[in-house]
Amino acid sequence: MDTKNKLDLENNKKKETRKTSGKTKRSFKDFMLGIKSKISLSLVVIFWLSITLVAWTRPADSISEHERRPLEQLPALEVKEILSGQYMKDFEEYAKDQFPSRFGFRSIKSLLRYYVFLQSDNNDIFIHDKYASKLEFPMSESSINLAGKKFSEIYEKYLKDTNTKNYLSIIPDKNFYLAKPNGYPSMDYDLLFELIKRETGFAQFIDIRDTLKLEDFYKTDTHWKQEALLPTVKKILKEMNMLDYFAFDYEKKMAEIDFYGVYYGQSALPLKPEKIYYLTNIHTQDSQVFNLENNSYTSVYDMDRLQGNDPYDIFLSGASALLVVENPHATSDKELVIFRDSFGSSISPLFLEGYSKVTLVDIRYIASDLIGRFIDFENQDVLFLYSALILNRSATFK
Amino acid sequence: MLFSSITFLYYFLPLVLLIYFVVPFKAKNLVLLISSFIFYGWGEPVYVVYMALSILVQYILGLLIEKYSGRGLAKLFIVLSVGFSLGLLGYFKYTDFFIANFNAATGMSIPLLKIVLPVGISFYTFQILSYTVDVYRKRISAQRNLIDLATYIVLFPQLIAGPIVRYIDIYKQLKVRSHSVEMVYEGLVRFVMGLAKKVLIANSLVELGDIFVKSTDKSVLFYWMYALAFALQIYFDFSGYSDMAIGLGKIFGFTFLENFNYPFISKSITEFWRRWHMSLGSWFRDYLYIPLGGNRVRTSRWLFNIFVVWMLTGFWHGADWNFIIWGLFFAVLLILEKLFLSKLLEKLPSFISHIYLLIIVIISFVIFDASSMNLAFERIGAMFGASDSPLWNSNSLYYLRSYALVFIVAIIGATPMIKNLVEKAKKKEGWSKAINILSPIVTIILLVAVTAYLIDSSFNPFLYFRF
Repeated sequence: MDTKNKLDLENNKKKETRKTSGKTKRSFKDFMLGIKSKISLSLVVIFWLSITLVAWTRPADSISEHERRPLEQLPALEVKEILSGQYMKDFEEYAKDQFPSRFGFRSIKSLLRYYVFLQSDNNDIFIHDKYASKLEFPMSESSINLAGKKFSEIYEKYLKDTNTKNYLSIIPDKNFYLAKPNGYPSMDYDLLFELIKRETGFAQFIDIRDTLKLEDFYKTDTHWKQEALLPTVKKILKEMNMLDYFAFDYEKKMAEIDFYGVYYGQSALPLKPEKIYYLTNIHTQDSQVFNLENNSYTSVYDMDRLQGNDPYDIFLSGASALLVVENPHATSDKELVIFRDSFGSSISPLFLEGYSKVTLVDIRYIASDLIGRFIDFENQDVLFLYSALILNRSATFK
Repeated sequence: MLFSSITFLYYFLPLVLLIYFVVPFKAKNLVLLISSFIFYGWGEPVYVVYMALSILVQYILGLLIEKYSGRGLAKLFIVLSVGFSLGLLGYFKYTDFFIANFNAATGMSIPLLKIVLPVGISFYTFQILSYTVDVYRKRISAQRNLIDLATYIVLFPQLIAGPIVRYIDIYKQLKVRSHSVEMVYEGLVRFVMGLAKKVLIANSLVELGDIFVKSTDKSVLFYWMYALAFALQIYFDFSGYSDMAIGLGKIFGFTFLENFNYPFISKSITEFWRRWHMSLGSWFRDYLYIPLGGNRVRTSRWLFNIFVVWMLTGFWHGADWNFIIWGLFFAVLLILEKLFLSKLLEKLPSFISHIYLLIIVIISFVIFDASSMNLAFERIGAMFGASDSPLWNSNSLYYLRSYALVFIVAIIGATPMIKNLVEKAKKKEGWSKAINILSPIVTIILLVAVTAYLIDSSFNPFLYFRF
């Protein structure tokens, strides 16, 4: 073999070696890539499958305490429901409602909205100065007008040509004190009052905005606190010329539960619980509450309700179409009829002292045409007391 | 069924994947076919029958077209195939549009039929047509295996919102395709990314759009916020869906062509349409524009071709005049660009071309979104101050603050900035390792975030389903 051929052979050997080692290197790289992909895939799949398995196997809950509602159950397999597509919709609702750690996932979403995307609200719930509230915006002028017309209809049907004295007051929602001053959208209360007054000339309007402040509302709930309502009660009674009948001598008691208001569940944020206080005296203790819906008697403060979905139902047992509260110790024989919503439940006990009978009507639960069957309107004081929130959704009025 | 639903993510998909990877290869298409019918039937049980019938008809017609290839009968069968497909599409999608316009023109009052549109009909009609037309053109052989053809048509990853996958691009994969851990992982990551685009970004922008529509207190700023939000929303909604489809395809061993390539970075309308809904653009080009003669005809005929193609592109998106106007709006701009505007834009600084593109596209989507042309004109006018609305007000500032970061994330996400950064980092050893570690973590975090949003959300379908 000559020198040239030797060199060529050596060069070829070197090239072959390089090729082989190159090939080995690439294979190792591929091998490592495969390992990395396997580890990455395993991590994602294990996580995904774990949640899937729990979702498939965990027993269904019946209610959500945080959201205060019954949870969707596995729909029954019926041909009709499947063909209409209803089964599939119900199944998705079931899958969402019964998802493992539903509240935890909802909290993650809230936290992402507030603290990652820096959004001001989540599902319209915003938190400011530790107060949670729901954006009540835009104001529906047609809804306000509808509410005014409904009140006017009640006047025409039952109150006109009677000796009743008629009053109207609108309860400002928490946003009046929280949203507007802090740059959140809110209703135009001046316009709201103007619209409602336009339809309710039969009633003396009582503006209670200046009797309240933000601290008079629960941080986690939409409602006002009963223990903060005396200035409001006084203003209303003054306008109704009833102030002299009231001594306002109450004992403040605390309900022995942690109160998580409605915004706690809706916001899905770790908000601190609050305490519910209620005011008692001989009038609230000895008055009897008759519920015309179920013909039963209860007390003004229904302690059993503290263990229910909404502890705020302690006040007159919560939502009810028609209640009659009779006070054997009343300082006058006058009667009061209040057309009210849930805010009315907590303020009404504070009117008992001066009235022998207080009748509460909620026209969200009873058709206004039927009211005459239960109440004879003559000589009473009649107070329309609704929150702005309800007026903005007055389609619920019957 | 929606990809962005708990039912799909935690019930349907895991079960299908499990069965798919357990069965032998020859049964995989059958698994895909059955699961795709369940997927389709989950939302539209009644239309499964129509879908099965369509497949059977097109299967037979495909075989007949091939059998009589080159003879007059082949022409008859292709006409039947196209007529059957477009006839059904026309019946379901356009009947009420024509009745309403006929009533308006004649003063008659023929009642509307109020036909429920089968989900995804516009997409799979075009897919079916790509099959029979290509058989007629002898570009492919007719599929003899009914299961394989049916699997192609109803393949659930791309069934209801694209991309429009052509038979010619996929028929080999129906017979032979490989599966690997790498592909499954890449597909999974792509799917979750698409899901995040839809659920975290697009749905947030939908909320802003809803707030805008309901607002009685609008401002010029709010009109612009709405217009930008809608343009971004439709991009993240649709490209997110395409990502999910491509990702799922990859998991099952298919390679679907890309459908979006960062359209908002374009500097002309011509470029925008090369980057936006690419599968639709190329479909119209190959099955309509070129058969009409394309640009190799006299100028008047060429202009006619462009107008026809873009009018039909608009009409494909929806049975209403605003969609037709939307298509024609682009036709006019594309013609102007081809005639002289492109040359002018090339001479201008690139940021001016970019602003031109963005303004045109944003306005076009206002037309696209409006329920009537009057509303479209009202909104466009208001954007440029032709209304009583103030320049801004407290409400629009509130929502600007609230959605500022969503806008920023969406705008950055609509550019290849993040993709380029990741690509660059992958080339550096240290960063490459970090990306390998972060990739599954980010995927899991996004999956958790998406799940959290879905659990907390109400029903929210994809925009493009109505097409």
